[in-house]
Amino acid sequence: MQRRKLADKTATVVLTMFAAIIVIILTALLGYVLSLGIQQVNWDFLTSKSSSFRAGGGIQDQLFNSFYILLWTMIFTIPLGLAGGIYMAEYAKDNRITAFIRICIETLASLPSIVLGMFGLLIFVNATGMGYSILAGALTLTIFNLPIMIRTCENALRAVPLELKEGGLALGYTHWRTITTVLLPSAFPSILTGIILSCGLVFGEAAALLYSAGMTTPKLDFGNLNPFASDSPLNIMRPAETLSVHIWKVNSEGIIPDLRDVADGGAAVLVTVILIFNISARVFGSWLHKKLTAK
Amino acid sequence: MQAVLERELVEQQWTQEQQEVDLCLDVTDLSIFYGPKQAVKNVSMPIKRHSITALIGPSGCGKSTFLRSINRMNDGIKGFKAEGNILYDDVNLLDANIDPVALRKEIGMVFQRPNPFPNSILKNVTLPLKEHGLKSKAKREEYAETYLKQVGLWDEVKDRLHESALSLSGGQQQRLCIARTLAIQPSVLLLDEPASALDPIATAKIEELLLKLKEKYTIVLVTHNLQQAARVADDTAFFYQGEIVEFSDTKTFFQSPKEKRSEDYISGRFG
Repeated sequence: MQRRKLADKTATVVLTMFAAIIVIILTALLGYVLSLGIQQVNWDFLTSKSSSFRAGGGIQDQLFNSFYILLWTMIFTIPLGLAGGIYMAEYAKDNRITAFIRICIETLASLPSIVLGMFGLLIFVNATGMGYSILAGALTLTIFNLPIMIRTCENALRAVPLELKEGGLALGYTHWRTITTVLLPSAFPSILTGIILSCGLVFGEAAALLYSAGMTTPKLDFGNLNPFASDSPLNIMRPAETLSVHIWKVNSEGIIPDLRDVADGGAAVLVTVILIFNISARVFGSWLHKKLTAK
Repeated sequence: MQAVLERELVEQQWTQEQQEVDLCLDVTDLSIFYGPKQAVKNVSMPIKRHSITALIGPSGCGKSTFLRSINRMNDGIKGFKAEGNILYDDVNLLDANIDPVALRKEIGMVFQRPNPFPNSILKNVTLPLKEHGLKSKAKREEYAETYLKQVGLWDEVKDRLHESALSLSGGQQQRLCIARTLAIQPSVLLLDEPASALDPIATAKIEELLLKLKEKYTIVLVTHNLQQAARVADDTAFFYQGEIVEFSDTKTFFQSPKEKRSEDYISGRFG
């Protein structure tokens, strides 16, 4: 009896300690990045162009590029991920083909992002001839993000109580209408949470973009909204250096005198945006869930 | 001579009575398999129109499986196979040509756990109507009112129709699910232990409702609650290990069961 109690106490203490270590590592990391970077971040830093030689450059274009590539990635990923998730949760039969598809998805999810970047370079950039571009970057990130999205959607659909699905079927809904009118609305809060969380992952990704969206940005005219103009920020065929790629580049091959400050400031902005994604995923998801279940 | 004539007359009346029994569903030789396991064994059961037929028996006796085969809800289960006949208007519902989606509009089902959709109370009734092609919104809401009144829920919810259905109590949710099923105008209602998750007062309300509904619908009710079967059912079938041990009118079944096993079950000696 005494020993069992002791074992229980020890387990509690050890597990609490590990949890504390995780929290300490995270807060230390965030504290370090933010405390160094926050002094550099001001309105001017966020809204001025980066400089190649002189000190005092900002991150305006890079910040825009990050969001813009994220937008296109999501435009590609969400429908594909939903379709894949619906298939895996509702249509895939329990057989070898499904098992094979599952292995493919899992392998894809565990591929190093630099490998995906090289794949993007070979296929999207070179083979299709589109060159370094937002489109090539977004397509590469789509491959990066797709396995997560499929799994998110599949799990969300599977988590809907069977009674609800049967309720739809018993009312004479077809399988497809049961999915669209009963399952998807019920799964929506979890799917949305998953989407916002993966936005954070995509936003911070660098390696997959080095050789797909490129490491440069042409001179942009934010007044030019014609998506076919070469200096338009909306043009998806132009190269685009994102914020995380910029941080890497400034740090490794930058020649500006204030490179440390720019990198610190950029990192602080990057981390803040990702934090916002994560927190809003939680807040938004639970708010939606509450609204839906009226509890 | 006189005696023979009298007997003939009695026999004639008897056959007439037999013919007058209006069957809604006629189940004959139904066997149901899940893979190698046989869940229902050679079951036959005439189900009378505008009556309540209760299916009772211990857990795993096949009564729910039987019920769910009538509206083909078992179709999606791996290894499921049904043999025999479930005749409904002279059509075998087990026929491969039967479209389960169309069938389920004709034969509605209410489940053990109330399963309203996570929408408003009103939408729970209007959405299925919309799904079945009722285009006018005003008409849909009129129907919703009609059927919410029919299940006795209207007065309780009329001021909060746009609130989430999940804010209702369990008993209210179950009545909403019944209203939603009635709204698509089935002629048969299958109920799978509809009151087993509810408190006694909510249960009484459901039973009262069932007795009212049988005037218009044919009801098949699976229940664990023997008193419930005795209170509401016209006919009772006792399932045990996939077979029907006894099927008779409820009064006979509970007062003078023919089978020893029925008697034991009723008196709580097993099950």
